[in-house]
Amino acid sequence: MKLGAGDYAHVVLQQGGIVPKGTRVEVFRQIFTVFLALGTLVGVVVVGYMVYNAYKYRDGDGRGDDPDAPRLGELPTGGGGGRKLFLSFGLSTIIVVSLIAWTYGTLLYVEENPPGEEGETTNIEVVGFRFGWEFVYPNGHSASTLRVPENETIRLSVTSDDVFHTFGVPDLRVKTDAIPGQTTDTWLRADETGTYEARCFELCGAGHSYMTAEVVVMEPDEYEAWYANTSGPNGNSNSSSAGDAPDGSSALGAPTGAPSVPAAASSLEVVA
Amino acid sequence: MTDENTKADGGVADATHGADHHHDLPDPGHVKRWLVTTNHKDIGVLYTITALFFLVFGGVLALLMRLQLWTPGVSLLEPLQYNQAVSAHGLLMIFWFLSPFAFGFANYVVPLQIGAKDLAFPRLNALSYWLYLFSGILMGVSFFQGGTFSGGWTMYAPLNLPVYTPNIGASTAVLALTMFTASVTVGSVNFLTTMHRMRAEGLTLRRMPLFTWTILLTTWMMLFAFAALLAALMILSADRLLGTTYFSATGHAGSLLWAHLFWFFGHPEVYIVFFPALGVMAECFQTFTGRRLVGRKWFIAAMVLVALQSFLVWMHHMFLTSINLQIKTLFMATTIGISLPFDLMVFALIYTTVKGKVRFTTPFLFSFGALMLFILGGITGVFLGAVVLDYEFRGTYWVVAHFHYVMVGGVTALVGGLYYWYPKMTGKMYDEFLGKVHFALYFVGFNLLYFPMFVAWETPRRDFVYPEVFVGWHQVATVGGFVLGASFLVMFYNLFVSLWRGEEADDNPWQYSTTTEWAIPSPPPLENFPGKPTFRDGSLKFLPGAGSRTGGTGGSVADGGEFTVEEATDGGASVSQAADTHAADEPESHASIWPFAIGVASFVLLFGLSGLQNASFPSGIEGGFYAALTVGGLVGGLAALVAMATEEFHALTGPFGESWPFEGVENTKLGVWIFLASDVVLFGAFVGSYAFIRVAEGWTNWHHLIPEAHVPLPGLINTYILLTSSFTVVLALVAAEKGSRWGLVGSLATTFVLGMAFLVNKALEWLHLFHVHTEAFPQGWNIGTNIASSTFYLTTGLHGLHVIAGLIVTLYLLVRAWNGAYLDDDRPVEYFGLYWHFVDIVWLFLFPLFYIL
Amino acid sequence: MTRVKLYTAIYVVLFAFATAQVLVEQSGGLPYWTAFWAIIALSFVKALMVAWYYQHLKWEPRSVTFTMFVGLLAALALTTAAAYSIL
Ligand code: HEM
Ligand SMILES: [Cu+2]
Ligand SMILES: [Cu+2]
Repeated sequence: MKLGAGDYAHVVLQQGGIVPKGTRVEVFRQIFTVFLALGTLVGVVVVGYMVYNAYKYRDGDGRGDDPDAPRLGELPTGGGGGRKLFLSFGLSTIIVVSLIAWTYGTLLYVEENPPGEEGETTNIEVVGFRFGWEFVYPNGHSASTLRVPENETIRLSVTSDDVFHTFGVPDLRVKTDAIPGQTTDTWLRADETGTYEARCFELCGAGHSYMTAEVVVMEPDEYEAWYANTSGPNGNSNSSSAGDAPDGSSALGAPTGAPSVPAAASSLEVVA
Repeated sequence: MTDENTKADGGVADATHGADHHHDLPDPGHVKRWLVTTNHKDIGVLYTITALFFLVFGGVLALLMRLQLWTPGVSLLEPLQYNQAVSAHGLLMIFWFLSPFAFGFANYVVPLQIGAKDLAFPRLNALSYWLYLFSGILMGVSFFQGGTFSGGWTMYAPLNLPVYTPNIGASTAVLALTMFTASVTVGSVNFLTTMHRMRAEGLTLRRMPLFTWTILLTTWMMLFAFAALLAALMILSADRLLGTTYFSATGHAGSLLWAHLFWFFGHPEVYIVFFPALGVMAECFQTFTGRRLVGRKWFIAAMVLVALQSFLVWMHHMFLTSINLQIKTLFMATTIGISLPFDLMVFALIYTTVKGKVRFTTPFLFSFGALMLFILGGITGVFLGAVVLDYEFRGTYWVVAHFHYVMVGGVTALVGGLYYWYPKMTGKMYDEFLGKVHFALYFVGFNLLYFPMFVAWETPRRDFVYPEVFVGWHQVATVGGFVLGASFLVMFYNLFVSLWRGEEADDNPWQYSTTTEWAIPSPPPLENFPGKPTFRDGSLKFLPGAGSRTGGTGGSVADGGEFTVEEATDGGASVSQAADTHAADEPESHASIWPFAIGVASFVLLFGLSGLQNASFPSGIEGGFYAALTVGGLVGGLAALVAMATEEFHALTGPFGESWPFEGVENTKLGVWIFLASDVVLFGAFVGSYAFIRVAEGWTNWHHLIPEAHVPLPGLINTYILLTSSFTVVLALVAAEKGSRWGLVGSLATTFVLGMAFLVNKALEWLHLFHVHTEAFPQGWNIGTNIASSTFYLTTGLHGLHVIAGLIVTLYLLVRAWNGAYLDDDRPVEYFGLYWHFVDIVWLFLFPLFYIL
Repeated sequence: MTRVKLYTAIYVVLFAFATAQVLVEQSGGLPYWTAFWAIIALSFVKALMVAWYYQHLKWEPRSVTFTMFVGLLAALALTTAAAYSIL
């Protein structure tokens, strides 16, 4: 999980309250850390207590027979100790409910007002197909590599041309389903330039394991220059991937065709 | 029951099988015994063994995958082969191993625990088993029809359609699952009727042992959840075989529809596979700590809550789809809500050990281990309940690790159950040392296998390419997988050898066990009990004679937790003579070949149907082969059904004491009602699918999909016809009550004619629509023309099939009424009426939905 | 026999309601959604009458009715929540 120090300051500033905000990477990191710590703590305590009891009350340490021990043929009833039970139950309820309530704030934030200034976001359409991704920019330019500027919130509208896929960029902690006939919306924001990998997270056929795409995060200026150079869907060479994109049937029934897919996909990209 | 099997302990086991000679059942040594048996203990054994076979099947596939994952990329399996392995592994483990494994115990133990001699419908119980076995074989066959289904166990649409998964084997797998679903439905009806109607006196619902409680709740969930799955699978089969267009991609959200239907079933399924394991844990914890469950009342209440709520959380599997934020919030809340009762259950189990006398026998070790694994699985599940985290975990090994901790955690408890009840089921003791070795290997192997998956969670699921940094973790996991597999070899060896060389097991080998199965011989005789079990006085006694309630004490429980058998021996012996004379006129039956025959026929039928595509068989020899199988299976199945209906068979009727809340609803009637309740969900899911699709299209933006020729009139006429036929069925019952033979025959005949008229009218209507020729529909309005035609034909077609089934029964009743039946016992007419009116009611909704609105 | 009279009366009512459903639509007098709910309501009333009298639920323990009701609720939960999720 990469995070620049400057951006961290930005995140903390923006944060204000206890609800984690910031890029998805940051949000995930914070929440995951808290969950992991608490989860480990609870796990260790509970399992430890359980083992301790089982050992402590092991048979054969010379304790006498309980006169009230269960007898064969009795009607089932409960044992005592209800108070302790409710105490622990109450405690666990408080922990779980407050954890989830805490993350709910972040959910609302992630869903409804992602970082970045209002109205300044770029909207890119993502179309999944067997077995690759097509990215369509507002100007109609389409490519098989996703290029985005650094430190800007990019909105993605994701759909599929054939079967159910899931679009995700693990390092940017963004993920959403690509469903034929439906569009899902999400956003991403990268605060470090570099090349990341996007891939499919829902089984979609023989090439599923290879259904990847490159995500290139660029300096804003560089991005602007590149973007200005692109044009509509029937424009220059950059759009070559659009032509071969949606024809899912061509890959049908070709079990061994899969490994060739990534090679084909990446060779399509001509960097401007 | 006979004298020789009510001896004092020790000698009991040998004597038991002697009793069988008095029945229609061959010896256990004969193969025939196992084909015809309808006895719940036999069937329990069959379930257990078959389930273990499928464990091996699914396990081998898992090991193949683990080998592939040794390094990233293709090695052992080609991509599509890997996908098949993932899919079949998931399907086999969940459907053909986990649930049936639990139902092996349910079959064996539940009747014993509630004090019933068998299930309410023994032949249907056998039928459940055979449908289960043959559906599993069909699943196996699918591998040889060009490859089995490769779209994951969730079978997401539209990957599940022939365009993307064209193998015939993929269709076969879907049909195999459909057949399995039928088995589950039959089984649920049976168990629910039994558990509600046939409990021993004093054994109120609140007093039922915990294992029985978990099975009761499991079967209720099964009844409704599997009905939804049945609807989903029927629609999928229609899409694959007949060419309807529900799930094909665009426009009407077919993809989402599948997700809704599947997960509406899928989440309850999580508890369906886990509850029995919970029941085993509760039993083992109580027995091996010598303590009663802490907060038992709340434990049960928590389970009831979970069972109900399990139907209201399904969309947490769809957080990344296009569902709206409000519904995400709602389902996040219900999901967290449902996790809380489990905390209570876990703490209840833990506190039960306090102040106990904990004995680390093999069953306890497995139960204890299961609880630990479940705690880990539960904690990691809370991560997934936080939607923001779920966004990232979806489709990764976090999910894989989590559900294996939960589900295989459940398996762990069930393995404990196998050791726990092994002495009861076989009369032999397993080797305790080898049992402990098994546990050690199992527990180490398990954690080596699954814990690394949490660490390497960024591995994409159902994927064999993963980041290089995780190679080490995956190799540890693979090693763990093999250790886990090896541990089962130890178990198989132990259990197999102990059958011959094991020590004889006492009636009650476990100190502090309390439930009824431990108060009778190991293995129990065919009739289970040395008298009529009752808890009237607060603890178990066996009363002499089935009818008399005032008879002396048969057996009783002495202080100190050991069942004293001397008393039982005397009492039991004298009792059995009385019982023999009493029941001589109608001994219970234990054998029928027809369930097996129906199983075979269904197998053949579905195997044949798998060859269909777009409603036609392929040409040539292959098509002929499939067509012949279809016809053969259909004819054979009908013949076997009729044979089973006409066969003399005496089942238990109950009630034996407690039957809340269904006192006064006779077994068969209750069975029919429970079945109808599941049918409500089946049709509900069909109607729900239609509504969903229409909403997705825009509810009022629909009529352009339907030709002008589709007018309400034929539907209205059919409404009149069905209403009238309902009325004549009512008249038939009135006539039967009055003893009027010709009134009965006349009413039934009228019903039959009306039913036929309904079908003919429908056929004419359909033919007309098939051949409309308009600008919008130049090729006619066929089943695959568009989504409106698909929903129309399939939904009303399913209803039509119900009418046809009803008419077959009408015909059967008619023939028998003609010969004078039903005048002294009109119940068959009444029960048929329940079904027929239900079919009528369904039409009352289909008519406005598909003709008017 | 009074039961038979009751059954006959119900039959007549069912017949009339079915006709009414078609008339509601054909007349075209009502706005679509008013007509929609009227027609659905008529279906529910008809179904209840068949279940209550023809299937004798009236004379059975309430638990049977309750069981069917649970099934109905499950189906309705699926239908409404699924449809709502894509609104
Ligand atoms: C015994 C009970 C088990 C159950 C109920 C179970 C269940 C499942 C299910 C439902 C899936 C998902 C299939 C899918 O995504 O379509 C799965 C996947 C998998 N299981 Fe199991 N499993 C069991 C045991 C095992 C064992 C013993 C191993 C290893 C030796 C194993 C290894 C795997 C692997 C490697 C996957 C693929 C994960 C993925 O890529 O999604 N499972 N299992
Ligand atoms: Cu994919
Ligand atoms: Cu779930």
